Amino acid sequence: MKVSFNCLKQFVDLNNISAFEVADKLTFAGVEVETVEPIASGTNLIIGKIIDCKDHPDSDHLHILQVDIGPKYGIKQIVCGAPNARKNLKVIVAMVGAKLPEVTIKKGVIRGVESDGMCCSLLELGVDKKYLKDEQMSGIEELNDDAPIGLEDVLTYLGLDDVVLDLKVLANRPDLLSVINIAREVGALLNRPTHLPKSSEIGVDKFDFKVGSNTNKCVQFSAKVIQGIKNVESPHWMKSYLMAMGIRSIDALVDIGNYVMLVSGQPLHMYDLDKLSSNELIARDDFASPFVALDDKEYQLQKGDIVISCHNQAMCLGGVMGSKQCAIDKNTINLVIEAASFDATTIRHTSARLGLSSESSMRFVKGTNHFQAEFVLNYAASLIKEICGGNCFYKNIHYQCEQYQDKFIKTTLAKINGRLGSNFDLKTVVDTLHKLGFDIETDGDNLKIKIPNYRLDITCDADISEEIIRYLGFEYIKSDLPSLHQSVGSLNQHLAKTRYIEEYLTKCGLDQCLTYTLVSKTKLDEFNYLFKGEPYHIINPISEDHEYVRLSILPSLIESAIYNLKRQNKNLSLFETSDVMSKQERGICLAVVLTGQDLQQGYLKCKPIDFYDVKGIVEGIMNEFQISPTRYSIEQNNLVEELHPGRSALIKIGKQVIGYCGMLHPTYMQNKDIDKTPIAVLELRLDYIYDMKIGAVKMCEISKFPSVERDLAFVVARQVEVKDLIKEAKMAGKGIVSNVDVFDIYEGENVTNDCKSVALKIIYNAKDHTLKDQEVIEAETKIKESLQKKFHALLRG
Amino acid sequence: MNYENLDQILNRALKQIDDLKNDAPMSDLIDIKNRYLAKKSELMSILATLGSLDPKQRKNVGQKVNDVKRQIVDAIDTKQKIIEKHALNQKLVNEKIDISLPGKNYISGYTNPFFIIKKEITNIFLNMGYEVVEGPEVESDHNNFELLNIPKDHPARDMQDSFWFDPNTLLRTHTSAVQAHAMQEANGKPLRIICPGKVYRRDNDDATHSHQFAQIEGLLIDKNINMGHLKATLELFLRRLFGQDRQIRLRSSFFPFTEPSVEVDISCANCHGKGCPMCKGSGYIEILGGGMVHPNVLKMNGYDPDVYSGFAFGLGIERIAILKYGIDDIRRIYTNDVRFLHQFKKSD
Repeated sequence: MKVSFNCLKQFVDLNNISAFEVADKLTFAGVEVETVEPIASGTNLIIGKIIDCKDHPDSDHLHILQVDIGPKYGIKQIVCGAPNARKNLKVIVAMVGAKLPEVTIKKGVIRGVESDGMCCSLLELGVDKKYLKDEQMSGIEELNDDAPIGLEDVLTYLGLDDVVLDLKVLANRPDLLSVINIAREVGALLNRPTHLPKSSEIGVDKFDFKVGSNTNKCVQFSAKVIQGIKNVESPHWMKSYLMAMGIRSIDALVDIGNYVMLVSGQPLHMYDLDKLSSNELIARDDFASPFVALDDKEYQLQKGDIVISCHNQAMCLGGVMGSKQCAIDKNTINLVIEAASFDATTIRHTSARLGLSSESSMRFVKGTNHFQAEFVLNYAASLIKEICGGNCFYKNIHYQCEQYQDKFIKTTLAKINGRLGSNFDLKTVVDTLHKLGFDIETDGDNLKIKIPNYRLDITCDADISEEIIRYLGFEYIKSDLPSLHQSVGSLNQHLAKTRYIEEYLTKCGLDQCLTYTLVSKTKLDEFNYLFKGEPYHIINPISEDHEYVRLSILPSLIESAIYNLKRQNKNLSLFETSDVMSKQERGICLAVVLTGQDLQQGYLKCKPIDFYDVKGIVEGIMNEFQISPTRYSIEQNNLVEELHPGRSALIKIGKQVIGYCGMLHPTYMQNKDIDKTPIAVLELRLDYIYDMKIGAVKMCEISKFPSVERDLAFVVARQVEVKDLIKEAKMAGKGIVSNVDVFDIYEGENVTNDCKSVALKIIYNAKDHTLKDQEVIEAETKIKESLQKKFHALLRG
Repeated sequence: MNYENLDQILNRALKQIDDLKNDAPMSDLIDIKNRYLAKKSELMSILATLGSLDPKQRKNVGQKVNDVKRQIVDAIDTKQKIIEKHALNQKLVNEKIDISLPGKNYISGYTNPFFIIKKEITNIFLNMGYEVVEGPEVESDHNNFELLNIPKDHPARDMQDSFWFDPNTLLRTHTSAVQAHAMQEANGKPLRIICPGKVYRRDNDDATHSHQFAQIEGLLIDKNINMGHLKATLELFLRRLFGQDRQIRLRSSFFPFTEPSVEVDISCANCHGKGCPMCKGSGYIEILGGGMVHPNVLKMNGYDPDVYSGFAFGLGIERIAILKYGIDDIRRIYTNDVRFLHQFKKSD
């Protein structure tokens, strides 16, 4: 809500108080003032009269003016480019030294002619474009002929000496969409008297006119008929106030309607009485017909929209916009003013559906006071009488289906102090509430508080405590840490484990990323293997890019990788953990994307990222959670199409696929327009891992006897997996083989085609004695025989 | 056989040994050793002739020869050590490496500043005895709105502001939605939790808006909890996060689920409350919102508001990160440019 400081001053005594002080006070009391800005500014301004105007000899558009600015400063020569500069025009002169919003005026020479000041437009004084007519923007401001030459307080003369406070009115205080209620608030906060307009009805005669409502969406409908007015131009003061509050002046009637709304918070609508086909206005919600509104556009009404009808015709889309048919205009003589209350939700839906939103509809949406129609009509009538004349003012007509009942809240001093942690005495509390407009009856420490009808937000005793503290200030609340039972702060199990994994992976050198949950259909369909059930689909997405709740993190993380690759960030190790959910399942996922070089010692020792880098992460995580390799398996990938079929794997616990890892499929890379740099990825359902049971750790005996280490190399067919060789070797050497590791794989010269040489390091050890050579040789022989038998493995010479 | 001859041998040998340079090859020393001490050497051949001498002479000559031999052996040993040491030194010099080359990579990865802040905040509350819980991101409108005292017709429940899956299900718009879950699970017992999590609003992404962001919600319910407790808790928290010299102030505000409600500001790091362009002249920066849990919310979630009271607060993680690190565009947090990620130091 933009509030004119000058307008506000009409209703509350703000002598010697600056707009900034008011703003500060309001802000701390919960009515945040976002900006305090003068509508225009400028120093060293003066009113002058052009007494001579000649064309500049060296220019096709500049004029050389002689401007009389009164006896104090005499006549100044000013070079001016405005097309409307002419002899005898009264103008605003910014003298040398004047500070305008954009420039400071200096004495100068323009194309060889001395210029001693500047003639200004309102634009140059900082007035917003939207309040200015085209001619006001293209030339200098033309003042009335009676403007006093030599007057220095130009902004006041023009009504531009105003400051605008932009209030952020929160949802609970729709009453503050009214200058009067702001004046009440300011008066209370600053302890200043208010001067609110008196409500006295003009007109005694009754006019045969009926208002009513056929719908519960309009619970109150009041009107006033006035005849014989003249719709003139608004007075200067009203134009200035409206401008400051962001509304453009149209004509007196429209302006009065808007002004009364700004002042009271109650939107008004005016009908040209002579354009109505009968003397009745009825609120209804059963119209479903086209409607031509004031803006000449046709809108389709729906059943449910609030319509004000006359003789079965829609005259006004209640609270949103009037019809063309009965609109007031310059020639209006007789009129009906409507002050009604409409259902907020309906207005919200109607105005959103039709894309019609206005100061009026906004007020109805936020909530209006249903019980101030009498006052509002009287106030509007008094302004019309003052500005537009009028020979017949008729009695206000009311339809009201609920009568106002005073609302009370009962509470106690102890409750108030208990909630606030304060120590206010009864007098302070009572005084404060009084100032804020509440009437109070006390009985000991018990309070019975009467709520003013404009305070729609006060409904329980918690609200009362808020009123008190926002008035007195939060500095009265003493900081006091709660003394509670001791407890150990903790993360829930899954959070703690996820945090552990995140720390582990960062320590391993991976960068932790964050991407969006909502993805496109394309992304949704990629890497969609780990969740059962349908995806969540947004029915009102902002864009196709964010339409589904993802079922895999990988597509988003790959996108981050591509973003980096396109910017020459080539060595990437990214990961993200996130909740992932379908309609059926919710889980926690880890995704990893690696590409470029693994820089073990800068580029001196580095190797390109490959399958084993992501596989290692799986093994590392399992190891961190003490899950031995026997409890999960890494198997050939026959599921994930986005991965290279020969360089990828599924990670399984039993038959359950809990993840996959491997190199991106060349076709997938091509589709994503990634160059040839291989990319390794991994995705893992962490929740499955978290839920695995882990036995208690027990120490195992360590052999006291030395172990023997022997290397053996076998030639086997390429497709034989080393994992199986090791397993078999361990089986064959059971009892004295304590470990088998692979230390070299060789293919090529000296090894038969389609075969590979696998070099194994075998450790022999016994727990109860030092091994004899003979024992090792026997075991070795067994291993050789069994590998030969099972895999046709030949010992390599 | 005369002793002079032996002395000559000795002197010759010692001189030759002495003449050897420290960096002479070891083979030169071995040559000398062979020359004087090998079986066929002059000295050894004298020794071999001892048997032919008379016993008295034999003893003298024998002694003398052995004495010469020992002196030569000692000199060779000494020289050998010198040459060896010299050779070792030379070897070490030759083995000098370029210590300016990079070391093995033990640099740990970097963390999106979002997570740094999230962890910092979480840790502060963990140390204060809070439990960290999470709730679902897909919520019923009952949990997200109704149980938080946001009635059906409230504008905050407009379709256009949230992402909906059906008329009753949406992506949560605030972590306050976790409050309802937590209170109902607590079954009327005291509660001390924080809930970090992602939230979603139907905003177009730009430098300051994001359709996805994250909040941390705090909730404490017990007997006799008041506004002073909230104030002290937030002061402790914010000073831990931003520095002990920061001033904290409360401003009245409005949230449907708290009453009274406050906005919490901290003094600007740049100007310490004096006012500067960073804080738009106000001296303070808005950090979070909070208040006393609304009695309706307590009632709806199984607490007797006459017995229990509580406070709640919520803050945006990205907002804090943006403030703390001077990040110019919220989208950077979701883009993961590694040149951005690699700027942030790890969690304290």
